[in-house]
Order: sequence, then structure tokens, then C-alpha cells
Amino acid sequence: MKLSLRRELGEIERIVAARRSLFAASDLPDALIYPVDLATEELFVNMLRHNQQGQGPITLELEVVAGGVRVSLADHDAEPFDPASVPPVDISRPLNERQIGGLGLHLVRQLVGSVHYHYHNRCNTLSFMAREEPTDV
Amino acid sequence: MFEVHPDSNGLRLAGRLDAAAAPLAEPHFEALSGAAEVDLANLEYISSAGLGVLLKAHKRLSAGGAGLRLVQVSPHIVEILHFSGFDMLFEVVPASDPA
Repeated sequence: MKLSLRRELGEIERIVAARRSLFAASDLPDALIYPVDLATEELFVNMLRHNQQGQGPITLELEVVAGGVRVSLADHDAEPFDPASVPPVDISRPLNERQIGGLGLHLVRQLVGSVHYHYHNRCNTLSFMAREEPTDV
Repeated sequence: MFEVHPDSNGLRLAGRLDAAAAPLAEPHFEALSGAAEVDLANLEYISSAGLGVLLKAHKRLSAGGAGLRLVQVSPHIVEILHFSGFDMLFEVVPASDPA
């Protein structure tokens, strides 16, 4: 399943609708719904925030594979942005030291493990696998 | 779809609190004062943008000696709060427990 997303937060609704269609047409376990929704939203929002000059659409692909779902997001005219370069959030800090924001990639790593990053010809592609058992962290 | 309903103790949230809904939720949280309860019984989903709204309000209210209490929290949301470390910052009452 492939979607072309406009660069706006309102597209999250279309992402969720696509995920619903994919799950309805397959025997994917419900346990994967939250990880797919959250990781896809967080990466999409990150692409919008890190490439505010971007003009073209962002391509989302959802694919059922053995044991789960493979999701990829491609921004076709972007500067390099590797999520692995973002330092981890220290969730043990007390309330007065916690920052508003910065949790998105932390949650992605918690829920789906690592995010694969590929940059070629100004195209920034992020992908992940959501499986019932996390593959790696 | 996201809904926020003010009630006598605080707020009741329903639906999906994602990055598109967070700006709609924020004014309701900014209007809270003192010790407030947020009922999450019908909240299906929250992402980091929604967590940011909770944290911002909790920091503001805690600075005044009060804070947010999260009640009727479903298992999925409990897990997200745990992964975020929010279970160490907020009082969290799971849905199965008496609020």
C-alpha cells in the first residue's frame, strides 16, 4: 500500500485510515496497531519539522511481510537527517528537568526497535519493521 | 477523532491525541488550575505530541504545588506512559483500579 502525503499534520488521519485498511485485509495481530501508528506518526512529524523548506509530498509505504509490517517514509527533497544522530532522552530526570518534547524517537525505539536510514539523491528514507517480538533495540 | 470535555475535577479525553490534535487539547490544559484529574478512559491513543501537552500542564501546576492525576488509564496508554518515564512523574491510576 502506497500513499502520497501532503506536508501537514492533518495527513495523520490518512495514515491511520491506510493502516486500518491494511490490518483489515490481513491477519496481522492487533498488538502491532499501536507500534505502527505511533512510529509512523513520529517519523512523519519529524520529517515535517526537520525539512520545513520541503515542497513535495512524502511517500508512505506499508507492506505486510513475514511476521509483521514493514513501513517506510520517503522525503524526496531533503537534507540528510538520521534519527540515530538524535541523542537519547533521559527519562529518569525529575519533573523540573524534563524537557517538553524529544520523546518521539525514544518511543519509536521502544516500540519497534531500530529505524533504518537511507539517504540518496536528496531522498531521505526512514523505515522500520513492526513485529510481535521486537527484533532489536 | 479527538474530544476533550471539561468536568468539575479536570478533563475527560476521548479518541486519538496525536500531533494534529495536540494544539486543540492545549488550551483546555492551560485553563486548568490546582490539582486536576484527567480521565483517560476513552483515550485510544497518545503520541509524543500529546504527552508534551500533559507534561507542560503538569510542570506548570506542580510549580504551584499541585499537578495532574491521570485516571482510568487503559493498558496501552499505561505502557506508553511507562516507556516515557511519565509513571515516575505523574500519579497514574490504571482503568482496572478504583479511581
